[in-house]
Amino acid sequence: MDVVIASSSIDGGIGCWDLQTGAEQLRYKTCASPPHGLVSVGRRFLASSQLRDPSATSGHVLYWSWSKPQAEVKSFPAEPIKPLAADSEGSYIVGGGSSGDIYLWEVATGRLLKKWHAHYRAVTCLVFSEDNSLVISGSDDGCVRVWIFDDVRRQQASHLYEYSFTEHTLCVTDIIMGYGGGSAIIVSASEDRTCKVWSLSRGRLLRNIVFPSIIDAIALDPGEHVFYAGSRDGKIYIAALNAESSPSNSYGLHIIGSLSDHSKAVTCLAYSTERNLLLSGSEDGMVRVWDVKTQNIIRMFRHAKGPVNNILIVSRPLSLGRAESNAQGFSRRHGSSLPPPLEKYANSTDEDMDNKAIINLPATSNLPTDASYLSSQLINDHIKELQQQGSSAAVE
Amino acid sequence: MWVGSYSDPSPQTLFKLPRPKTENPFKGGPKAPTRLHSLNPCTRWQVGTRVFILQRKLYSIIFLGSQTVIFSTMVRSKAPSKKQQKKGIDFKKIKRKLGRKLPPPTNATNTEIKSKAIVLPEQSVATNKEGLAVSKKGLTLKELLQQTSHHNAKVRRDALMGIKDLVLKHPAELRLHRYAVIEKLRERISDDDKVVREALYQLFKSEIFPGCAEDNQGLFISLVMTYIFNAMTNLSIDIRLMAFRFFDLVVQYHPPCFSLYAEKILQSYEDILRKNQFYLEDKGKLKSTLYGLVRCLSLLPSKKPGCQKNILGERKIHAFEPDLPTENTGFSVIIKKLKELVLVLINCFQDFIPLLNSMPQLDAQSFDCILSILQSIDIAVRFFIYGNHEESPEANPLQVTWDQTLLSGLSKKLLGVFPLYPKHHLSVKEDDRYFILNIVITEIFLHLREWICPSANVFAKFLEFMENALLGKTCSSTRSGKATWEKHVPSLLPFIPKLVSEVTTDWQSHLLEAFTKTFRDCNPESSLKLACLSMIEEMLIPRGDMHYTEASDPVALDYQTIWIRELPLLLILLGDKWPSSSQVVLHLLLRLGQFACWNSSLIWEYENTQFALCEFYSTCREGNIYYGPFMRLPRDSQELSICCLYYFSNFSTLLLKAITSCCLCPELEPYVLFRIIEVVHAAYKAGHIQFADHISFFITLLSRFKVYPENICPVKESDVQISNCGTFKSLTCMVCSCLSQMGDSSVVFRILEKAILDLISLKPQLDNACAMLRVLIMLDSKPTRLSEQSIIALSNFLPGYLMDVVHCIPEVDGNEVAVSNHVQTCRYYLLPCFFLFDRSNQLVKLFLNVMGSSLTDSSLSLESHNSTQYVTDSLSRMNITVSLLLLIYKDVKVQKIMSLFRTEIGSIMQSIASLQSSEVNMTIEERHKFQCSFERLKIVASSSPVVYIDDASISLSGA
Repeated sequence: MDVVIASSSIDGGIGCWDLQTGAEQLRYKTCASPPHGLVSVGRRFLASSQLRDPSATSGHVLYWSWSKPQAEVKSFPAEPIKPLAADSEGSYIVGGGSSGDIYLWEVATGRLLKKWHAHYRAVTCLVFSEDNSLVISGSDDGCVRVWIFDDVRRQQASHLYEYSFTEHTLCVTDIIMGYGGGSAIIVSASEDRTCKVWSLSRGRLLRNIVFPSIIDAIALDPGEHVFYAGSRDGKIYIAALNAESSPSNSYGLHIIGSLSDHSKAVTCLAYSTERNLLLSGSEDGMVRVWDVKTQNIIRMFRHAKGPVNNILIVSRPLSLGRAESNAQGFSRRHGSSLPPPLEKYANSTDEDMDNKAIINLPATSNLPTDASYLSSQLINDHIKELQQQGSSAAVE
Repeated sequence: MWVGSYSDPSPQTLFKLPRPKTENPFKGGPKAPTRLHSLNPCTRWQVGTRVFILQRKLYSIIFLGSQTVIFSTMVRSKAPSKKQQKKGIDFKKIKRKLGRKLPPPTNATNTEIKSKAIVLPEQSVATNKEGLAVSKKGLTLKELLQQTSHHNAKVRRDALMGIKDLVLKHPAELRLHRYAVIEKLRERISDDDKVVREALYQLFKSEIFPGCAEDNQGLFISLVMTYIFNAMTNLSIDIRLMAFRFFDLVVQYHPPCFSLYAEKILQSYEDILRKNQFYLEDKGKLKSTLYGLVRCLSLLPSKKPGCQKNILGERKIHAFEPDLPTENTGFSVIIKKLKELVLVLINCFQDFIPLLNSMPQLDAQSFDCILSILQSIDIAVRFFIYGNHEESPEANPLQVTWDQTLLSGLSKKLLGVFPLYPKHHLSVKEDDRYFILNIVITEIFLHLREWICPSANVFAKFLEFMENALLGKTCSSTRSGKATWEKHVPSLLPFIPKLVSEVTTDWQSHLLEAFTKTFRDCNPESSLKLACLSMIEEMLIPRGDMHYTEASDPVALDYQTIWIRELPLLLILLGDKWPSSSQVVLHLLLRLGQFACWNSSLIWEYENTQFALCEFYSTCREGNIYYGPFMRLPRDSQELSICCLYYFSNFSTLLLKAITSCCLCPELEPYVLFRIIEVVHAAYKAGHIQFADHISFFITLLSRFKVYPENICPVKESDVQISNCGTFKSLTCMVCSCLSQMGDSSVVFRILEKAILDLISLKPQLDNACAMLRVLIMLDSKPTRLSEQSIIALSNFLPGYLMDVVHCIPEVDGNEVAVSNHVQTCRYYLLPCFFLFDRSNQLVKLFLNVMGSSLTDSSLSLESHNSTQYVTDSLSRMNITVSLLLLIYKDVKVQKIMSLFRTEIGSIMQSIASLQSSEVNMTIEERHKFQCSFERLKIVASSSPVVYIDDASISLSGA
């Protein structure tokens, strides 16, 4: 079941809808996330960093299990964390601090494995590559840096990034990575009104696209023909990567067209590869679902009054979806299924390095078991539903 | 008989006839005449005949056209008879007396030719060459090319000149036949004649290479290169030198050709430079050869890789790249060759040293030669150190390639003689020349420093020179000396960051002091300044290394603060005259803002630059605003300077004021204006700007922005060149959206309410008032949050405002489009009031009361307390009131609201009616017109709205 998950910068909780039917699911409470602050950790649970007062000295990261609306685990990192990212298995979480440091935690134990000085100003976005080999970070100083995850994790000594792209003149607002691992492209958007396309294999700028307004969010077409750029003027521009673009168009070089419904600024985008849908979150608190082919809005979700600033599309494991029906009882029986909170400081003793390999294993082995029983669980689900309907009908 | 006569040493031998051909016919003796006879028919279609007497035989030459020449031989009839008589006496020597002519034999053939006309069809001046490209002398390209191999040097030269001439007139001719041309011309590269070579060089330089620049040069070049190499090994030294010049030319037009032939070329240079007997004599030629060498060597990859290539323009991102060979391939094999060459160059240099000492003065040519030698060594050394030798088999070329002979040669023969100084001090010019040479030697030394491990003594010698050079002590103080200094000091600068971090504190401060002085003293627009700036960037901004020492040494810090303080001043000094230099400074400032966080004292300095930067934007003195260079810089520089603003973590009010006045300047491009708002807002979001400052920035923009033309006329949106109305509308939109993002709108509203109402009561222009009303309603909600006091203030303001709107936007009669356009324009200004009406009935009531009272009470007329600048007499006031009410009634929603206030409307109607009756000076037409609209108003006002239209009918989309 593909669900759309959205959060806002003012406390509106985390909205959750079924993408196919449009039915709203459980709404998770008390979440005011910064942009790029919401993440699904290995599809097992949701984690979000929280916006804090500027005066706050520590950060705030919350975990929600799928089944409970209340945040179950609260962590307080050493400094305010804005962007969060997790690798695809959900074994590690990285968070970007406002001082420019990046923190790396192990999810299963909550240990802070590493903290390194990555940027000179606050980190604004963090992205894992598809194969978890790279971490890409963008910063307030306009710098985009590419780190090799394994090097970061293993090396005790502080080491250097793989690439540092400094061509942006203002704060980086979003980064996406294409397909193809080390030879992929990355696209970065910035407050300097440009999006830049970089080559990871050659480590240089491939294309610079100037937009009519600041781009806050980007989403990549799965074929990498175009990318979508949500701008502050309320339009979603379509920019050419591999597609032909005529030099004479109204918006500028490489911009093919735009999706627009005269709404307020677009703050976040997500692309559903399976259904070919583009989701956009807006300043007015709506999540719009666009059919990319026809360029029409096919659905709208109302999230909150304030701006939506995170959208995720997660294919939620059904086993957990089922638990929702008797959420309270389920979680009470099992206790908290979530890992411990993230540690504030790294305790760098030698023994930590030894257990690392052992701890790695359970984290990765979690998912396949879920996946293998999907079909049987689906049937069980249906049977249960039918039984319930039958019994309720009988009662009436 | 033939043999005998042949051996006759006749002085008249003009023609060397092919021997076997002529011999055979005579072997048969008597047969000859018949043979001749058989040939004779040729003469029938002869075109011209000429007869030569040669060795007492007659050769008649028959011209058949210009090409074919047939020789027929006519044998003297006497010769065979003579032979018959004196048979037996072979080899009889016939004595002849000089000066005496033999009497013509009796049976001599008369060789006189008489003809009426000579017809030379091919060589005729009248040849039809129409349509063919010809030179000034009427020769075609083919003919000219033939003539280039003429045995006469003058003809060859003329032919080359002819080709040049022809190509100038018919460039297409060269493009068509370029391979034919080059194939023929290349033979002349090793021409014996100097003049011809020179002419060829000029031809290549001016016509052929530029003409063939765009197409496939590889083939073209390879055609030439074989002949150039040939000429390089020629025995004649002149031809060889010329060959180097030709090669130089080829390299200029096709740089990759050096990498193709690098080894061979270097060998040739080495060979020629070894011949030291000539170069001391002919320095002019040596000079040009060395220039060529410098040019070739400068093509070596000697910089660290990583230079930015051009980004893809139109191409698709994932398209395949054309498989071009990279520029750096093929250079690794020449390391050995190059080393030999460097040794030869060092010897060359050494040969010059005694010459320098003996000569009274360093003349220009020797200077050029030495400089070129030194530059070549410098480039080679750089190639050894920084060149990309990855392809070479050696794992680390640095250790392997530095063999001891080279190093010792360099350090002893070259660095040992440093510094060069004039023996006999004669002229200032000489000083400068020695200065330049010393600079190049210093450069070589600094490159080599790590490999030769100099003694402290030597090192100090060079450091001292550097310091003096930076301070400008070693250079003459004349204008030319100053220019030389500015030109050559930049080459020393790149070493400073590294040196500073490695030398002792004492030298460190010396060098930094000298560097800072250089930076301060040089012309703001000079390249030296730019070089200084890039060095400052290198020393200020940590490159790559994240763990730059937090506590950088105090010595450097002092100078760093000086540099940073200097930057804004430099920016103002540069003004708008040197945009490229300004761009560099701005870029440095931006980088500083982005990366200065690693050092708290630097960030402090950066923060402080904003006070100096105010002047860059604008200054306010005695009420007048003086715009800084920002306003006149090109757009990309403006953008850069705007970006710098974002990184001030404490945006000073002073700077914001300066920027605001720039924003209000009508000359500022709308694009830049919007960028400023965007960046300022982003800075606010990042917590760099105080809330109050930010609010007042917006309010100032809205209230003080000058919209022109002042009275609104219903112009179309396309007429942007005469009006900035559209810009102001987008500005209003932008400010509204920014304000709505600032947080809880009710709080923002509370803060803004008083400020806006105060400003509104000052009677701003219509557009400004409209913008402020729009901000107000955007933040307000239904029912209104306005306080009692502000409602009263608004009710006093609105009648005047609305009447001004109606007055300023004249009603149009005519076609539908114009009318609807007019309504649209009015609606933009009326809409905020409608919103206010909708949200507060109290306001409507007060508003209508004020309207009514202003009509009746002329003493209390609107101008006394409101902004009617235009409406003066009661008549026009009456007219306007009617049309305003009509406009208000056009909106269904407002109509509904108005229906609640029948009594107030009724009283207004009454007063209008009474006014109208009392009005005397009104023409019939006016009266009629007024009556019509008044009747319409009566109907509209009395009919209550029946159609219910929901809230959505009023929306800001009407804007």
